[in-house]
Amino acid sequence: MSVSPNILFWIIVIPGTVVLGLVASWIVRKVSALVQWRVGPPFVQPFYDVAKLMGKEILVPQDAHRIVFMAAPIVGLAGIILLSIMLWRIIVTQTTFLGDIIVAIYLMVLPSLALILGSSASASPHAAVGTGREMKLVMGYELSLVLAFIVVIIKTTALVEQGQQLSLAAIAQHAPVFSISGMLAFLSSLMCIQAKLGFVPFDIAEAETELGSGVLMEYSGALLAIWKLMQAVMLVTLPLFLVMVFLGGLSADFLAGLAKPVGTLPIGIIVLLIFIVTGLLARFNKYIDILFLLTLIAACLLAGLGKYVLILVMIILIKNTNPRVRIDQAMKFFWVYCSLALAIAIVLALIGNTCGYSWL
Amino acid sequence: MNQEELNNKLLEIKDKLIDIEQKANKRIFLPCEAENTYAVNKFLFEDVPLRFVIATGIDSDDYFEILYHYSNDETGCVVTVKAFIRDREKPAIESIAPFLPGAEWIEREIHDLLGIDFKNHPNLRRLILSDDWPEGVYPLRKETKK
Amino acid sequence: MSWKIKALKKSPWVFHVNVGACNNCDIEIVNCLTPRYDVERFGIKLVGSPRHADALLVTGVGTMQAAIRLREVYRQTSKPCVVFLIGACPCGTGIFSQGYHVAGPVDKIIREVDPNAIIAYVPGCPPKPEAMISGIVKTLAAL
Repeated sequence: MSVSPNILFWIIVIPGTVVLGLVASWIVRKVSALVQWRVGPPFVQPFYDVAKLMGKEILVPQDAHRIVFMAAPIVGLAGIILLSIMLWRIIVTQTTFLGDIIVAIYLMVLPSLALILGSSASASPHAAVGTGREMKLVMGYELSLVLAFIVVIIKTTALVEQGQQLSLAAIAQHAPVFSISGMLAFLSSLMCIQAKLGFVPFDIAEAETELGSGVLMEYSGALLAIWKLMQAVMLVTLPLFLVMVFLGGLSADFLAGLAKPVGTLPIGIIVLLIFIVTGLLARFNKYIDILFLLTLIAACLLAGLGKYVLILVMIILIKNTNPRVRIDQAMKFFWVYCSLALAIAIVLALIGNTCGYSWL
Repeated sequence: MNQEELNNKLLEIKDKLIDIEQKANKRIFLPCEAENTYAVNKFLFEDVPLRFVIATGIDSDDYFEILYHYSNDETGCVVTVKAFIRDREKPAIESIAPFLPGAEWIEREIHDLLGIDFKNHPNLRRLILSDDWPEGVYPLRKETKK
Repeated sequence: MSWKIKALKKSPWVFHVNVGACNNCDIEIVNCLTPRYDVERFGIKLVGSPRHADALLVTGVGTMQAAIRLREVYRQTSKPCVVFLIGACPCGTGIFSQGYHVAGPVDKIIREVDPNAIIAYVPGCPPKPEAMISGIVKTLAAL
């Protein structure tokens, strides 16, 4: 296994993921605002939010278990950053290690686990209710998520050559979504990701602050800022994981892609200029504002993140068109409908493997 | 039941009431003394039957009144029992909460604000006044100044 | 001014507390948070816990029962924070000044906990959402 060739990568990957996560959370809020025919927050709003939270005092409840209360957000953030480093390294260097799929699956559980631990250490009845619901939700979607990956693994075993390791890098070279079982697995795992991110229709545990209870109820100040950062990084990492598993990964050397043939470089510079100019003038005119958003998306497409933007847009649309469901409705959805669809998908994938039909 | 049946039914307890007053088309008042209210309420709630809406406590200068409002949902007629409590020193009346649990809280509120004692009430605690409000001060009585 | 106040001005998260209001101002606050008035462009977000909040929107004349609870809620709001008194009732008890259960105007209740509290007054019965937005923006600019 060769070390990554670029020391620049190792310097910028963690802050870059955090910044990209905050930008993605702005995109979610801005597009939701535009869908609701209103203006929405300015571009630097998520950064202001985190900065403000860092400046507030941290209040710890008297009966709370201090160590777990303060360690839980850090554990969650560390887990998801670890997963993002792993994914970026696979994307950039195409090399990986043995057993990376299993590592990815258990690292993905870590943020939800940290949320459960932190809220149960809060010594608050509202947080306790939120904890119970989050635990039930995790039990609901974890099964569907693992079944969806099993579908992909089954399909990839047919396509991988002899002697090549079945790893995320190998999976990321094929796009199983263009088959019936792959499409079923992709849609099910999209709903699981929606639940893991804590977005409507599955934001039962957390945004239930609107209804007076919630897992993050007792957190304040810098600890709350770490939870928000964790959610922002999840917004980058989880769709990226979906892209690698289902949609065939990002283009191999997208970092170099911006500086490839001369044809792309002037376009990149023009897009960057439009981005800066519209960003500075966005508050004066609503058309310049929308142009800024479109330029940002164009920049992402140029950088090769088109498939990530596609999944982000799907998440935003599902978020804005659905009401919040109850916990029993969510459990029924995951355990009955998703698992049934995935069971059919597994059967179809096995049939496709043995009979040689790759579209099944 | 329609209006005629209701009027006929109300004649059955006329001996416990002072009068049956029909003030308007869909409004019937049944004034009675405090001793008879338990039987009258039980009759209206169980035998007629009518739906209990709410109770009202009034401090008229010489006596207290408690009004129990019942609704006949089919015709929209509201029947009100007017109970007169003549004793101003220690006003007391029998609670209807044993057979009408929905009246528990409104009786607690009347007790808080007017000081009327409800006998046999299952849970006569403070309801809406604050925890450090002094005992024995009833804000809605005419003689209480701030 | 310190960076904490600077960041607070750009992203004030609000928590709504009702200490004995007739609900009129509460309805107008909820109206203010709808997409029509779009307060998200100022960074304002409704949060469900006072620990997450930067601004308390207090409505209602302070009743005796609610005064104790309001002091607790104010203590649980992580500082620095601003208190907005929405409506005529919390500003100066409004028409309920002779009531038997009134514990005084709300700024008196809050100054018992924190004499240096930052309090802003938005009078009106109820104040229009435009008035509330104007009050919030002017207060943040004056911080």
